[in-house]
Amino acid sequence: MELISSSIVSLTVFLPLIFGLVLLAMPADTEAGKKLLKTAALAFSLVVFLVSLGLYGRFDASYVGFQFVESIPWIESFGISYSVGVDGISLWLIILTTFLTPIVILGSWTAVEDKLKTYYFLILALETGMLGAFVALDVILFYVFWEAMLIPMYLLIGVWGGKDRIYASMKFFLYTLVGSLLMLIAIFYVMSQYKAQFGNYSSAILELYKVKTAFDGFWSPQTLLFLAFALAFAIKVPLFPLHTWLPDAHVQAPTAGSVILAGVLLKLGGYGFIRFAFPMFPQAVQYTAPVFIALGSIAIVYGAWVAMIQPDIKKLVAYSSVSHMGYVMIGLFSLNHLAVAGSVYQMLNHGISTGGLFLIVGMIYERRHTREISEFGGITRIMPIFAVIFMIVTLSSVALPGTNGFVGEFLILLGVYQVHKVWAIVAGTGVIFGAVYMLWMFQRVMFGPIRNEENKNLKDLSLREIIVMAPIVVAIFVMGVFPNIFISKMDTSIKAFLAQINV
Amino acid sequence: MEEFIKPQNLSLSPQQLSVLMPYLVVMTGGLITLLLGVFRKAVNMTVPVAAFSVLTMVLAAYSLFLVWGEPTVSLFNDMMVVDNFSNLFNLIFIVATGLVIVGSNQYLVREGIEHFEYYSLMLFSCLGMMFMASAKDLIVLFIALEIMSIAVYVLVGFKRADTRSNEAALKYFILGGLASAILLYGVALLYGATGSMNIQALAAAVQAGAASNLLFVLGAALVTGGLLFKVATVPFHMWMPDVYQGAPTTVTAFMTTGLKAAAFAAFVRFFMNLGYGADLSSTLYSGLYKVLWVSAIATMLIGNIIALTQKNIKRMLAYSSIAHTGYLIVAILCGGRSEYGYSSVLVYMAGYVVMNIGAFAVVAMLSEKNDRHTNIEDYAGLGFKKPLTGLAMTIFMFSMAGVPPTVGFAGKYLIFLSAVQAGEVLLAVLSVLCSAISAYYYLRVIVFMYMKDPVPGRAMNHTLAPAFVIGISAVITMQLGLFPSVLIEAAKKAAMMF
Repeated sequence: MELISSSIVSLTVFLPLIFGLVLLAMPADTEAGKKLLKTAALAFSLVVFLVSLGLYGRFDASYVGFQFVESIPWIESFGISYSVGVDGISLWLIILTTFLTPIVILGSWTAVEDKLKTYYFLILALETGMLGAFVALDVILFYVFWEAMLIPMYLLIGVWGGKDRIYASMKFFLYTLVGSLLMLIAIFYVMSQYKAQFGNYSSAILELYKVKTAFDGFWSPQTLLFLAFALAFAIKVPLFPLHTWLPDAHVQAPTAGSVILAGVLLKLGGYGFIRFAFPMFPQAVQYTAPVFIALGSIAIVYGAWVAMIQPDIKKLVAYSSVSHMGYVMIGLFSLNHLAVAGSVYQMLNHGISTGGLFLIVGMIYERRHTREISEFGGITRIMPIFAVIFMIVTLSSVALPGTNGFVGEFLILLGVYQVHKVWAIVAGTGVIFGAVYMLWMFQRVMFGPIRNEENKNLKDLSLREIIVMAPIVVAIFVMGVFPNIFISKMDTSIKAFLAQINV
Repeated sequence: MEEFIKPQNLSLSPQQLSVLMPYLVVMTGGLITLLLGVFRKAVNMTVPVAAFSVLTMVLAAYSLFLVWGEPTVSLFNDMMVVDNFSNLFNLIFIVATGLVIVGSNQYLVREGIEHFEYYSLMLFSCLGMMFMASAKDLIVLFIALEIMSIAVYVLVGFKRADTRSNEAALKYFILGGLASAILLYGVALLYGATGSMNIQALAAAVQAGAASNLLFVLGAALVTGGLLFKVATVPFHMWMPDVYQGAPTTVTAFMTTGLKAAAFAAFVRFFMNLGYGADLSSTLYSGLYKVLWVSAIATMLIGNIIALTQKNIKRMLAYSSIAHTGYLIVAILCGGRSEYGYSSVLVYMAGYVVMNIGAFAVVAMLSEKNDRHTNIEDYAGLGFKKPLTGLAMTIFMFSMAGVPPTVGFAGKYLIFLSAVQAGEVLLAVLSVLCSAISAYYYLRVIVFMYMKDPVPGRAMNHTLAPAFVIGISAVITMQLGLFPSVLIEAAKKAAMMF
């Protein structure tokens, strides 16, 4: 027990990978074997979720700094160490990850039938990669997880994806790679600066925060370094105009891939800004903030407009991601306490509600093998349970008060308004457009007469599908009605984060 | 008159003998394989000779292990030196040659070229490489280069009935000979300018101001040109793809790893001793700097861009090998001005050797007679049909693309870090962008392996020995990627010699 409690973070991170390797060793040739494999994958991911709840249980909300820290030297000549730890911001992102993984495993129960072993292995390996990136307190360790995570996602899209899966997976990989390689050079620059200022190498982020890089307008090291980091993270978020890989990847990915991509991978972009880019280059952040707020607001409105005209439900949800992540960006760059808290909250919300929407799209696609909005209409009458759940998730996505989406967007807009009134108003119109495209889509799919004969025999949700959606519905309401459960745990960390920047 | 032949320099002390052991083992092994081959009328000697060659490599590795970490020993009137630098490179050569030999036999049998000379030539070539890494005198360097190259000229044309192999051998021979001549001419001019061919004496001459001597500058330029030719930087790369594609696949694996490493070993020793790097003020050094800067960019860019369009995997790996040379030139360019010096060259080279041999072993194992099925599309479905081979190839491809946690990332890490430390941020940025281009064609192999359906009837036979080589390479690629400290420390010690 001593060992478990002293290395609970590592345990959470590497358990999925170990379980994944166990899955690879299981026989899966017979029907019974396949069923066992799926059950084992589900059980394993639930174990990981429970372990991560252990983190929640022991987390001390009043403590400033990182908790459960583990640090082992890794490559000593460059001061690189395996050091991990959790604060109030990463805690929730970890739980989001471990929460969504069992859901997507159960969600792909019938959707994926071939190469099962590799499929579930990749999902669990991806979980390790994402968790590792969230807990890494060493910038090189973070980079390793950040890049390594691309591989399983790339294969998930490329092997189990739709028609243009190869193009989409390639675009996803290359976009991310270009951004991260420039970040790598920036990391080296900062490490060399650290060496020059302190006499030894280190890549621990708490050490790198101390590095003072020269700042003097745009063409100064600090601004350029910040932009190199920002490029990597903005591609991941994705921030307009670097978002073009997202619709391709989302539409082609299998449902589980889309859910994880939207639910967790995009959050890594926002998290990267919070953990690395902002505290390391505070002056550059303040200098460039207006540009990023403008881009974020454009992303909100543009994403909403483009989503409005999509004929394909999945593509609509993908563009809604661009719009929703725009809120996260303006919230972060406003550097206002309320808005930053709202941004972190919005990241969790988006993971829940967009993840839920992708699951819903997946369910309807499994039944009809199409996602064209025009193919549907009047589904409410045939699938009442589905209709209720779909409605709840849709309302969460349009940020109706009482759902989680409201809390995040409200905090962000309130915070941004205090600093940048004009952009807050522009972003505020995004809320209206958001309601327009989501509700209009919902109306065309669910209400009206049944126009298509094929839709008449659709089956309502099975018990498994209800179990998949139930945690999401519960999370939507809990997060909407009791936001304090979440914000109380993260607030100390957010204050500490802001204190680092406003030096 | 000065006495040139000193008797005390002609006898070897026990210490000198012990550090020479790895060389002697490889040489004796090469000679014995030749003798063993004589019995080929009675029995087929290929397998025994192959086994004996492997044994030789194991013994050589063991004798290297015995002298590992010993202080520097100067040999033969300072014409040769054994130090940590040469030891680490020797290890790379021995591992490369050993792995290639283990994986060769099945390929040779399939192509109908199972002659015992193959192994003797490999051993002699390996010996030449080892001398190259320890040469301290330009004439020794030249002789070592020729020992290494002549064996390989023959190996490239080993498929006597195959016109491509013949073409490759002839091309390589003529152009290689030209490069040697250029190098030798440069050596002669340097001798004319300074009266010595010893690298240290040359360095002393540079200190004394020889760099302003036109003869010296011309000589240095020709030597550098010859070496650049050997490592195949742009624009001296034209011969490489044809040679790499035409040569037997196992020989190609040997060339991209051992030969390249040997050329870089000589390159680095030459540069380190000349004191290049720390000071760019003199005309000679700033000239060299410009040449290398342009050549690094051109090599990375052209290698990567042409590799994008290749359909044949051997040719693709050949162009990728050119691109990797570009990264290594970046390492040489920045080494002198960064903290860990030239250790990045060694780390990158060691990693490249392992992953490249692994990749070529996959190609050699899966190809069929006359190098059929060496197109990238022939790998369709490999990932699910043969999961372990697919996994290994995936590891090699990601490692070549420099994705963590593989040894390819560790190598790129050191190179880019040293570039940033040397103040070459632009060069570093251009290198990473080139490396992003390269990800595309490495990923294409993975696309075919995992995302396309297998061609019906394609056998993809597996045999034990190559599979062993693939497995070992994959494990080392991952091992050194996850825990690179051992390699980095060894490289640091090796590069700090000077």
